Amino acid sequence: MRRWLPAILLALAATGLARADEPAGAASATATACAVPHEQITGPRSGERPLPLLSGDPAHGFRTACSVPWSTLSPNRQPLPVLACFRGSLLQLPARAVCPGVSGPLWVGSRWVKTNEPQGPAVRADQARSAAQASCEQLQTGAYAATRDYHYTCQPAQRDLKANPAPAEAAKAADSPPAPAPPSAH
Amino acid sequence: MQGLRNLLWRLREARPRLVREGLHSLLLAAVALFFLNFNVYGTASPSKRYSQDLVYAWLGDEPWLYPRALAASSHGTAARPHVTVVMLDERALALRGARWPVPLGFHSQLLAELEVLRPRAIFLDFLLLDPDSREDICELLQLGARLRGEGIGLYLGVTRPEDLAPFDAAGCRAAQGGLMRAAQVFTPVSVQRQADDSDFVGRRYPFEQRAEGAAPGSGLPSAAVHIYCDATADPAACLKRLLADMPPNAGFELAWSPQGDPFNQRWSQAPCAVTVSPLQAVLNRPALPRESRCPPVATLFASALLSPAEDAALGADNQTLFNLTEGAFLMVGGNFRGSGDLFTTPLHTLLPGVYYHAAALQNLLAFDGRPKVRKEFRSPKLFFYGFDLVVLWLLASIFLWRQRWLQRVQPLTYGPFELSPAAREWLAPVVARFPTPAWIVASTVLLVLMAAYHSLQLIAVAAIILTIVLVELRVARRGEIRERIRALILYVAAMGVSLLVIALAVWVGYTQLRLPPGDWLGYLTFAAFGFFIAHAAILEFGRRVDELHLARLAGGAAP
Repeated sequence: MRRWLPAILLALAATGLARADEPAGAASATATACAVPHEQITGPRSGERPLPLLSGDPAHGFRTACSVPWSTLSPNRQPLPVLACFRGSLLQLPARAVCPGVSGPLWVGSRWVKTNEPQGPAVRADQARSAAQASCEQLQTGAYAATRDYHYTCQPAQRDLKANPAPAEAAKAADSPPAPAPPSAH
Repeated sequence: MQGLRNLLWRLREARPRLVREGLHSLLLAAVALFFLNFNVYGTASPSKRYSQDLVYAWLGDEPWLYPRALAASSHGTAARPHVTVVMLDERALALRGARWPVPLGFHSQLLAELEVLRPRAIFLDFLLLDPDSREDICELLQLGARLRGEGIGLYLGVTRPEDLAPFDAAGCRAAQGGLMRAAQVFTPVSVQRQADDSDFVGRRYPFEQRAEGAAPGSGLPSAAVHIYCDATADPAACLKRLLADMPPNAGFELAWSPQGDPFNQRWSQAPCAVTVSPLQAVLNRPALPRESRCPPVATLFASALLSPAEDAALGADNQTLFNLTEGAFLMVGGNFRGSGDLFTTPLHTLLPGVYYHAAALQNLLAFDGRPKVRKEFRSPKLFFYGFDLVVLWLLASIFLWRQRWLQRVQPLTYGPFELSPAAREWLAPVVARFPTPAWIVASTVLLVLMAAYHSLQLIAVAAIILTIVLVELRVARRGEIRERIRALILYVAAMGVSLLVIALAVWVGYTQLRLPPGDWLGYLTFAAFGFFIAHAAILEFGRRVDELHLARLAGGAAP
């Protein structure tokens, strides 16, 4: 047993190191999933302003690609399918060569586009039930911690600019009910 | 004609007396000026700063004192240039899978998002000192160049101009093939902060960062100063005017409003518009600190920009967002746990460092590039102290005029606020009924209670005044009461005239000479109480010297 002990400890340490070195961008699919499912991008929410596009993927990180007006992305003004979503912030567009010199998937910020989400009867019922029962919290890492009935519509509470609240304040905040969630735009 | 001749004759007759009284009031004013600026071990600084904080705490919302522009969304127009803070925090980083400190690529992404908002200028309150890949550096420079091409000014906080050298070393090339220099994309600005020695509060904003002995204007202009001047018609002339003749540690005073920006109510737990009635303030609230955790500058969290789920109420077409940011000066800063980038404000507790620059820019915009600067940084310094002396001279003259008038109309041997001998004679036997230890212990207990419970102080002062008035009314003769009322009316009238002088001094000092309100309470205190104290000691000495001088002249001796 004594002979094996250093080897076991070494293996455990190596596992820990590997986890610490894991790049931030290499998040699992569940960690990067969007809170609200998006089906289609129906149009811009930036008027005539060009939309900033990113290239890359969650595993390797994102880069700025170019800025193009909505008419370049959708010449016929037809809705575009959302291929993937990253933490509610980025939506993946169908591959198109709209940015010179950029290949691979393109992403647009969810702030700048209108989307619709799957609204089947089962989904609506599930949302209504979960919204009534679930409670959730968004961790500093961006991941969600929640009860079993957690649903995507769960919103984080309001915030404060204080960097390190005093213990008494923190306790007081914990006692108070969470702030009401703003209405969803989707 | 005859009347005018009489007046001139009377003036000629009174001239020696007027000159003497003018000189006495000048002496009194000089003593007052000395005490106002008496600064052994920095004792004058806290009182001046307290005066300033008090003025801004209670009047900071008044447009005549601080005509700041609020966020466009509250007015529904973006016509007036305004400042908006974009706050980066852990939540925003998480939305893009990043952690602090972020790579340059993240800043590029954020700049690309900010470009949509069509701001007037963007200031990054981050020191981009960590080494990064050439690809990331070139991406940031190319994006910055694009923003510059669209007329959006880009400013980057640095500790010294050489901080941009790694960007140049990357050898990035523009789309046309030319070598890109970082200084062509980013304007380097100083992000140094100043705090008052007495309480470490950031009331002052430096003009520039320059070494001791270097010429004014040769240093690195501070962020708000550079951003403001670049927005004027002649940036070089603006910088020259603001930086000229300033000592190396000079800064301008930051005016503050106790109210938060109404835009921030969407996320702030603290109320952004606090109204306190004066009665409630006197009874329940201490004068200072009158703090609000709602910042005075409109704040857009980067997470709300990156994800509509964070703030879905920015308009179906982002109209609220565009109203807030279009044509605005965007000050991008961070609020990360444990980063320590916080500063103490006089009215808004601890705020992230970017608000320091945002508040300074708000001040420059509010005062049209003519911010308030303390006397010690002004040139010629003696001129500004001379202004104070003139104000105090006028106040001292009013005080002496009142004293002389009082002596003429009220032949009492005691002052209007003193107990009359009759009242003393009435009170002493009442107190004497109790044994000495009993009334001394009772008084001590009462005073300790009043010291410990502030609300008791007001009640006690009101009770004491009422008791004294009742005793005086009971024991004093009718003629004595009439004289005392006349003296009180005279005091109130003299205070009214003094207040007019102070109001004029405030207007000239604040709007014309650009002096901060640090001396306003000092003026008021001297007009109300201070001259009483200085008067007895100084003027009696002056009069005695006068008498001796005249006696020597009458005796034929040389003065």
